[in-house]
Amino acid sequence: MTTLASTAHLPVGERIKRIVLPAVPFVLLLAVWGSAKFVFDIPRGILPDVISVFRVPFTLTDQYLAHTIASVQRLLLGFAVAAVSGLLVGLGAGLSRRFAEFIGPLSTFMNAISGIAWIPLAIAWFGIGTPMVVFIIWNSAFFLVLGNTILGVRLVPRVLEQGLFTLGASRFDVIRHVIFPGAMPHIVAGLRSGLGFGWRAVIAAELVGATVGLGQWIFIAQEFRRTDIIIAGAFTIGAIGLLTDRGILAPLERRTVERWGMAGRAT
Amino acid sequence: MTQANSNGSTIRASTVESEPPTIAIKSLNHVYFDYQSKKTVHALKDVELEIQPSELVTVVGPSGCGKTTLLNIIAGFIKPTEGQILVNGRPVNKPGKDRGVVFQELAILPWRTVYRNIAHGLEIQKVAKEEIERRVRRLTELTGLEGFENHYPHQLSGGMKQRVAVARTWAADPEIILMDEPFAAVDAMTRQTLQEELLSLTVRTGKTVFFITHSVEEAVFLGDRVIALSARPGRVKADITVPVSRANRSWREMSKNDALQECVEDVLELVRGEATASDRSGGAVSADRTHEA
Amino acid sequence: MKPDDVAKGRSAVGSEAGTAALHAAAVPGAVTRVARAGATLRPAAPFLIALIIWWGAWALLRPPDIILVPPNKVFSALLDLVRQGLLDAFIKVSLERLARGVLVGILIGVPVGWLLGLNEDVSRAAEPILRFFNAVSGIAWLPLMILWFGFSERTISAIIVYTMAFPVIFNTMLGVSTIPNRLPNACRTLGAGSLRIIKDVYVPGSFPSVMTGFRLGIGYGWRALIAGEFVVGGGGLGFLIFNARTQGNIAEVMGGMIVLGLLWLMIDRLILSSVEQNIIGRWGLMRT
Ligand SMILES: Nc1ncnc2c1ncn2[C@@H]1O[C@H](COP(=O)(O)OP(=O)(O)O)[C@@H](O)[C@H]1O
Ligand SMILES: [Mg+2]
Repeated sequence: MTTLASTAHLPVGERIKRIVLPAVPFVLLLAVWGSAKFVFDIPRGILPDVISVFRVPFTLTDQYLAHTIASVQRLLLGFAVAAVSGLLVGLGAGLSRRFAEFIGPLSTFMNAISGIAWIPLAIAWFGIGTPMVVFIIWNSAFFLVLGNTILGVRLVPRVLEQGLFTLGASRFDVIRHVIFPGAMPHIVAGLRSGLGFGWRAVIAAELVGATVGLGQWIFIAQEFRRTDIIIAGAFTIGAIGLLTDRGILAPLERRTVERWGMAGRAT
Repeated sequence: MTQANSNGSTIRASTVESEPPTIAIKSLNHVYFDYQSKKTVHALKDVELEIQPSELVTVVGPSGCGKTTLLNIIAGFIKPTEGQILVNGRPVNKPGKDRGVVFQELAILPWRTVYRNIAHGLEIQKVAKEEIERRVRRLTELTGLEGFENHYPHQLSGGMKQRVAVARTWAADPEIILMDEPFAAVDAMTRQTLQEELLSLTVRTGKTVFFITHSVEEAVFLGDRVIALSARPGRVKADITVPVSRANRSWREMSKNDALQECVEDVLELVRGEATASDRSGGAVSADRTHEA
Repeated sequence: MKPDDVAKGRSAVGSEAGTAALHAAAVPGAVTRVARAGATLRPAAPFLIALIIWWGAWALLRPPDIILVPPNKVFSALLDLVRQGLLDAFIKVSLERLARGVLVGILIGVPVGWLLGLNEDVSRAAEPILRFFNAVSGIAWLPLMILWFGFSERTISAIIVYTMAFPVIFNTMLGVSTIPNRLPNACRTLGAGSLRIIKDVYVPGSFPSVMTGFRLGIGYGWRALIAGEFVVGGGGLGFLIFNARTQGNIAEVMGGMIVLGLLWLMIDRLILSSVEQNIIGRWGLMRT
């Protein structure tokens, strides 16, 4: 995909296409939603007005901000811990074959028990609230970062390492200049999917085990049939998912992986 | 459109005595628009060319001069900005099974075995199973692929894959075969073998072949005629008839035959200047050397 | 989003075990048998050590039963569930739900992915909205689905289908659009029409990518299923562990989690990777 930033030089028809085409389905969706509500007279408890959904952040500003901030804070905290711990353990495992052989199958199995499956046990351990949610995010993202880091380190060609050693580099130099950048494509991929899974896990964990947070908010809204809050919350969840991916990890990928001409594309 | 065509051809049949050339390229121009650099690229300029039945014409030119573009236009994959291609007097506007193509990059299907790749065109034409078997067998023999019928492409060497591509195109039995640097990616030894095999295949089957290469030696070795294209925009710079019959050529002969060696030198001389020439558009080349009358 | 690296991580681990076995096989003489036994045990070793740590932690801390129980209690809890016929009933419920959702997800995802892959304008129009709704995870639609369909099977199916469809769409699209032009072109020169080209080039050519999409989608769908069973209930492994927690039965919670993990590994290894190895591997198109 070519970036949208460079539209200025394109022929006019092409430029219009780039802006209009992606907008069409959104407009269509809103039109169908709006007219379906009008034509079939769907009650508010099933489907809200289009307008009312977009009004939620403005009419319920305090609640909206409180829940959103709670979720995002948990995500960032849990993800940061998962990223750092996953990277450290992953680099360790990548550098030591024995350690990797030990931790590999275990991490595969733990990955199979997804973060979401830990929610009941986490509630038993931490009770309801932030520590539980953070644990679930960590749990979802850690093994993904770990597995990908191990893989990335393993796939760094030996010759690069040997080349640096022949130049008189120390073990630390090699890790810094060869292993780490060489493993970067996989590490970034692991971080990206970790973040994606982590965010989904936040919502699931909040749904059943928190007093604030977007997941909890939309779950409670269900009891009051506030479909406007549910949809506004769901859209916010989507927007935050996209923003964290595009805003944090896609640029990281561009800075490193793509600039070095290694495989990887910001999708 | 089809109406006009059939009318046209009937009129031509009654008015023109001699057969039309198999391929006639008329005042062809092609200009690309490059979205990345937002510039136009003049790839082909005023190309005129006729290819007779059963002729093997090779095209040489520096990389980027428009060879692939020319082939794509003849094949019908792209429409030229200006000009026309006539095949047996009929204008070309889309790909057809009368023109088989062997691509620059390998285009056989990884999910078909050697046998089924070669048979593909025949399957499409709904040829009877026994007939397919007969023709595939003959082609595997001619191209040295016996014993590999049940292999998948990834299990073959580069030279073998290229043989499959050639065999597949021949099996479909098109009148014309277009080849785009088919042997560029194989090692030198294998390439010579493939070239000799191709010569005997074309001599035996009498196909009309349009063969693109950037190697002058290959062009002279394989061709009845060698067309030298200029650097971009590609124009026909020279049209040289190779002085030795295709039927009795081999690489052993090639090195000993003075006429062939001289021909190589001539073409090299022409192409050498082009390789260094930058993108000078305009400026008609007056020093066209044409060995043909 | 590249969660396909989950799969990558897994295959790396798999090859690790493979090389260990090879090394062992190369040792000559009487040592061989011992080495071979060691090699087969080696992947199990981390699990044994994890079990020992688990048991050690329990023995040291002696936490109350609603926090942590020793492995043997988990084992007997599982045994009880089997004896009561509950475990296989719950497994059956979960797998049926997954299968239903996956089937519908594929039926929707593949054609849509095809459409997007074949037509550039359509894909340019549809991609942003699909990316957006993919980011709104299926789980986030649970409350609305409950309002629409109640606490029912339909609610669970809806979120599995939703979750499953996106990775299938994106990967199918990718698979179709990355087939080099020369392959359909070559078929055209052999006289093939559009249908023929779709059948001979696009279907097999996109297959590896479609499989990646299935694998990812089923992985996501599996998680959506568990979350759905927490909330909706009506049997299933998710319901089992969620319900066990509210009754303070941690042994059952942990037992259920282990079953979930094993079941997922079986789905992934036996069904999905064997299809990949058998078909895609034969074509030499294996993605690692
Ligand atoms: N689709 C395209 N868009 C823009 N420019 C193109 C395109 N295809 C080829 N060109 C340009 O046209 C010129 C001729 O290309 P090509 O026919 O592939 O050359 P050759 O096969 O002789 O190496 C090159 O400069 C190439 O960059
Ligand atoms: Mg070319």
